[in-house]
This record gives sequence, structure tokens and C-alpha cells, in this order.
Amino acid sequence: MIEGRGIPTLVIGTAHDIMSRVAPPRAAFVDHPVGRTFGPPHDRKRGEIILTRALAELPKFTDPRELRDLGCAWTPDGSRAWEEELRAELLRDR
Amino acid sequence: MRASAYHNGCENSHCRAALIGAAASRIGLERRIYLMPFAYLPVMAQSGAPKPPRVLAAPTKTAWQPIARPASRSRVALLTSAALRLADQAPFIPREDLSYRRVPSDPAAGAIVIDHHSGIGRVPRQDPEIVFPRTALAELAARGVIGSTPPCHFSFMGGVRRHQEIESELAPALADELAQAQVDLALLVPY
Repeated sequence: MIEGRGIPTLVIGTAHDIMSRVAPPRAAFVDHPVGRTFGPPHDRKRGEIILTRALAELPKFTDPRELRDLGCAWTPDGSRAWEEELRAELLRDR
Repeated sequence: MRASAYHNGCENSHCRAALIGAAASRIGLERRIYLMPFAYLPVMAQSGAPKPPRVLAAPTKTAWQPIARPASRSRVALLTSAALRLADQAPFIPREDLSYRRVPSDPAAGAIVIDHHSGIGRVPRQDPEIVFPRTALAELAARGVIGSTPPCHFSFMGGVRRHQEIESELAPALADELAQAQVDLALLVPY
């Protein structure tokens, strides 16, 4: 709808599976827990880095519905330990 | 016979039961029940029942607008589905609210409140910038990484199941807003 008005869009999200299924015109994947797309609370520098990476990715989108990985890890060592905590958090509210 | 008096206006079922019991004692009708007590079990069954599966909806009309200018010369807007707003703006009403808010792009405009009902809200409520990076975007504008930001970014409620109205009402309204603000690029951040 927005692209139809002549305005390019970029979705920046953490849910790779959902973005793959919905397939917006351009999508950038951030491998963070959902609800923390731009980093941990009060880490402004991280937010700037992720936005800068997303903007730098823009010229590389050549085909509609492309999903590109921004190469962001939640922890410096790439640990996936956050996944268990996130799963509990998501199920707590059911 | 129906009891209608409430203790100081209190509608609590325990207060009503006490009143009814006292009145019944006075007229020798102890242990008679005149009001149906609130039935908790059906409500608990309803709230605990499985919800229908969420359906992922894709737009019925697809479009593709090529990037016309570099980010450094672009006016860049944020769109968030976190149902966030300034504290003095009207609250979103979970869960099927189709309205949107213009959220000033100036980080000094005021604190952000998140109305979204999702259980993931505990952390972003500590710092809404992690789902709505308006300060980081303003900083990129100040450094010339992007050209500018519009006066307002936009916020709406994610997870709404009224897909047809989103496509026919909300999305066109947001597209109009972005066009009026002469936005060159919209960054959408799902919540």
C-alpha cells in the first residue's frame, strides 16, 4: 500500500519465519529476541549501528520480497541461551 | 423475593451474600438463596480455552517502489506496530484498535508509553527506543547518514485480526500521511 504510493519500505524485524511467510517488499532480519530489535534497553549505540546497517543494505535489494540478514547477534559470543528465556516469556502471557 | 440493597453501593458478591443472610435470619428464612452468586467456572473455562490459531495475512495487492535516492538525501520515517504514543495522547484500546498516532520525531517531545497487550512488553517498556529508535534515527540525521526525519513518525496496534480493514482503511491513511510528509523511505518495525 505504501509502496503503491511511491514510497519504498523496509521492514526491520526479529521474526525470520514470519517475515519469510509474509514477504514484505524488503525485509531485514535482526537476530535478536522479539521486542528488542534495536538492542538491550538504553544501548543507543547499538540502535544506531543496526539502523546504519539496515540503511546500508537498501541498495542491495534488487528483487521484491527479499529478506536480508543484517548479521546482528544478541550476544558477542553468539550464544543462543536467550532463546529459552524468550520462550518462557512468550508462553507466560498465554 | 429479590434482595436489591448493596452495602454502601458495594456490588461484591460476598457483601451481597452477607446482607441476604442477615435479612433472611431476621425473617426466619436462614440458608435460603435469593441471588445467583457469580459463576466463576464458566469465565475461567472461557479465558482458559484455546484461542483460534493466528493467521498470517499478506497484502492482496503487492507493489514495489525502487529506491530513488541515497539514504543521505532521504527523509526517513518510522512506523511501529507497538501501539506506542506520547503519555498525553489518547490510549490505544487493545486488542482490535485500528487507529494510529502521530508520534513526534523529536526525542525531546516527551516520554513514550506502550499500549500493546503482548507479553513481550516487559523489556521494551523499560526503554521503548529498542522497538522505536527515534533517538538513534535523529542522531543519524544529525550526522548526515540520512537526510532528515519528518515531524512525526507513526504508531498503530499490531496483532489486529481485522485484516480487511487494515488494508482498506489503516494502510491507506498511513500512506497518505507519509506522502503528505514527503517521506522518501519508511522503516517498519514489527512489535
